Amino acid sequence: MRLELKGLTKRFGSFTADDDIDLVVEPGQIHAILGENGAGKSTLMNMLYGILQPTSGEILIDGEPVSFSGPGDAIAAGIGMVHQHFKLVGPFSVADNVQLGREHTRGAGVLSARAARQAVLDVSEQYGLRLDPDAICEDLPVGVQQRVEIVKALSGPETQLLILDEPTAVLTPAEIAELLQIMRNLAEAGTSILFISHKLKEVQAVADRVTVIRRGKVVAQLEPTASESEMASAMVGRAVSLRVDKTPAEPGEPRLEVKDLTVVSDAGVKVLDGLELTVRSGEIVGLAGVEGNGQTELARAILGLVKPDSGSIAVDGRDVHGRGPAKRIADGLGYIPEDRGRDGLVSEFSVAENLVLNQYRDEPFAKGGVVDAGAVRRRAVDSIAEFDIRTQSPEESASALSGGNQQKVIIAREFSRPRRFLVAAQPTRGVDVGASQFIHSRLVAERDTGTGILLISSELDEIYALADRIAVIYNGRIVGEVDPDTPREVIGRLMVGGSADAGPGPATDPDHPANDEHANGGDR
Amino acid sequence: MAVDTAPAPALVDDRAPARHVKAGAAYAVLGLLLVLAAVAWLGGRTTTIAFDRTLTDASWEAPTFGVVLGLGVLCAAAGAWMLVGLPQRRFKPASAVAVTAFALALLFWAYSQEGTVFRAESILAGALFLSMPYIFGALSGVVCERSGVINIGIEAQFLMGAFTGVLTANITGNIYAGMAAAMVAGSLSTMLLALLATKYQVNQVVVGVILNLLALGFTSFMYDQLKKADGFNDAFSVPVISWGPLADIPVLGPVLFQQKLFVYVGLLLVFVIWFLLYRTRWGLRTRAVGEHPAAADSMGVNVNRLRYWNVTAAGLIAGFGGAWFTLGNSLAFNKNMTAGLGFVALAVMIVGRWNPLGVLAGALIFGFTTQIARDLSAAGSGVPGEFLQMLPYAVTLVVVAGLIGKAKAPAADGVPYNPGDK
Repeated sequence: MRLELKGLTKRFGSFTADDDIDLVVEPGQIHAILGENGAGKSTLMNMLYGILQPTSGEILIDGEPVSFSGPGDAIAAGIGMVHQHFKLVGPFSVADNVQLGREHTRGAGVLSARAARQAVLDVSEQYGLRLDPDAICEDLPVGVQQRVEIVKALSGPETQLLILDEPTAVLTPAEIAELLQIMRNLAEAGTSILFISHKLKEVQAVADRVTVIRRGKVVAQLEPTASESEMASAMVGRAVSLRVDKTPAEPGEPRLEVKDLTVVSDAGVKVLDGLELTVRSGEIVGLAGVEGNGQTELARAILGLVKPDSGSIAVDGRDVHGRGPAKRIADGLGYIPEDRGRDGLVSEFSVAENLVLNQYRDEPFAKGGVVDAGAVRRRAVDSIAEFDIRTQSPEESASALSGGNQQKVIIAREFSRPRRFLVAAQPTRGVDVGASQFIHSRLVAERDTGTGILLISSELDEIYALADRIAVIYNGRIVGEVDPDTPREVIGRLMVGGSADAGPGPATDPDHPANDEHANGGDR
Repeated sequence: MAVDTAPAPALVDDRAPARHVKAGAAYAVLGLLLVLAAVAWLGGRTTTIAFDRTLTDASWEAPTFGVVLGLGVLCAAAGAWMLVGLPQRRFKPASAVAVTAFALALLFWAYSQEGTVFRAESILAGALFLSMPYIFGALSGVVCERSGVINIGIEAQFLMGAFTGVLTANITGNIYAGMAAAMVAGSLSTMLLALLATKYQVNQVVVGVILNLLALGFTSFMYDQLKKADGFNDAFSVPVISWGPLADIPVLGPVLFQQKLFVYVGLLLVFVIWFLLYRTRWGLRTRAVGEHPAAADSMGVNVNRLRYWNVTAAGLIAGFGGAWFTLGNSLAFNKNMTAGLGFVALAVMIVGRWNPLGVLAGALIFGFTTQIARDLSAAGSGVPGEFLQMLPYAVTLVVVAGLIGKAKAPAADGVPYNPGDK
């Protein structure tokens, strides 16, 4: 399918999300759309998929203008979409998710389970996407769920264009490599692919053509051979340094000592299993690992949200046993949670209120139990300026901010009071290039003041950019502590439970550059 | 719901096994209490069981002491076994044995008083009939909530159906016209809910509460007005449908083949709605819209339109259930005659885990205990009437705590949907 967009524009009131977008996707081409959060990528895709209607401009498929009043029309026209937030009904089987909206029936609306299973098997065989049609989706690993989404998108009547909206955001390095290979295979078979991303390495690895969007406008058309800094500059609109400048660490006394920490989950599984870890002042320790190996529980145990079953945690030389989160925060513990929507912000509160969530009870923000709105506002004005938080006003609700700016609110809140130790979990997840550069440099500056920092990240690039020492977590244990100049393959092997010595590690494949160089792509 | 990719937080204090230890201990204690009670009070008593409709001459006498003692030991043993390490997958059957043994023991005990006879056929037939309002109400709730709209206005639909049914039957002189009108009245009530919930996205719980109060006020007012004239609120009775020779089979005959239309419609609806929900395109889409509307929307399903019509249709079922109160019982309408059963129907829906077959089981338990309570108070057992009226709810608590456990509602239940939401 040849897709052409001519002067596509979408306005919401006075705000122009997309302005006069021109774009051509040739048959069998992988066309990457690069742009920061809020640049208008998702709005563009939603117009293409019939969820939103353009204000002006037109969409042409094989030269014919089309108009979609809903996703059903787009599907009928041969467009399939894999959404950034999966659209899978958790308790449904794979077959039911795939047939939803275009059910296989035996007439009179009665479902044919056999035909639905067979349809899934056919598509998965045709494209080499292994799936069990009877598996329940919510029980599947994220990577397999995405495969379900792809099969679903390919199961349209005649899907010839696939839209992938930030498909790698939730995947492990091995799953990313697999996805990129699937994309190549699909394109070879003639399917056109629109690949939306802000991960430059993935774009370089897989795209045939790159269009960069900034503030709703096409600002550049690039070849995938363009350098990362070229792409990043086009996205951000100014020169971006992709390296974090930092001096060698000067570690001092221990600020976090975790000894023999064990946490058992509801289901009776040891999510942390005798974990040992020390972080000293003035150093950043990067905790690398595939998600779901105990990182979440470790961060929550340090803050006091999870009660350890055995072992001890000492922050700044003091055993924190029996101290609740509020006391630990008062003692100088900073916490950047991995899920900012759930644990980091009260989204209906204003930016100003969110900025003092950890100290609203203290002078000068409260006097005699009454919050001093003036002091809160003054702090907000200062933080907004210092941390470059893009908001209409301090009174705007946090939910109105883009992901990157929400994260800046959390960073500003944690950095605006003295602290001894900081847990930073996925500090740049879903944050665009410009903002993650900023966050990285603040973390390094913070380290230089003597704070000990535990950086938990599923992005190996981020760990390499910031860490002074790398600890690898697997199955709730630290399986290795290495220097930051350790090659990727070694850490990759440790992350999946292999040894640091050379050997057939499951996640590395030398024939596959995507695996060890591109697939871990962070935000740089 | 959206498939949650974040690992669940580990809450150490809230482990699953602890609950079963508590349940095991509870069964053991209850079983021992039964044994003690049997020893203390039940020596020499007998429980009489009669098939009062088909085999009117026959009756059986069982020694109450022995039966209660045996059931008590069984209940205590099941509990003790759970405590000392029965494999987890056998907890459910063990619980079922303990709860059933306990309930049966109570039944034998209750019918051991002088002059009480357990009239098996009348009681079971009555129980099935009494479970009907729960079935209609809960099925209506299942259709609404599986689509993602909370309907706590079942009571309102009952009242509207009960009132409109008897009024229309009076005006037309046709009981079936009354039933049809009851369905329409229930549907108009849910249509208002559907409109406010989908188009205007009003809080559905608030709408439900308002609907209940509105229906109560409206029907009470109309009742007072119509009382002044004759011929608007007279009782109509529904014929009992007897299936010829089938009706003479012991137990089964009176229970299944000698009932009113309401019973057959109710039982049929349970299976029809189960089939529609789990085996048809409509059901797949309905469940998708209740779990993850954005997923359904992205596949071209019009979420709010489906919700609107489903909720409107669900009102037909609840309205028919309303007609049970008046036409089904051969009664005239009376103020607040549904007496909160619409809320009990909601509980039945939850006990039944939003599944029509579960609803049937839950409704039967409620119907049975209600019937027992009525029968015992009519027979003049020593237990006070108010205490007996508590029985269905006490049994529910035991069943919910012991057998059902945590029920999971459809993920998008009560959440309004805007196209374009994530």
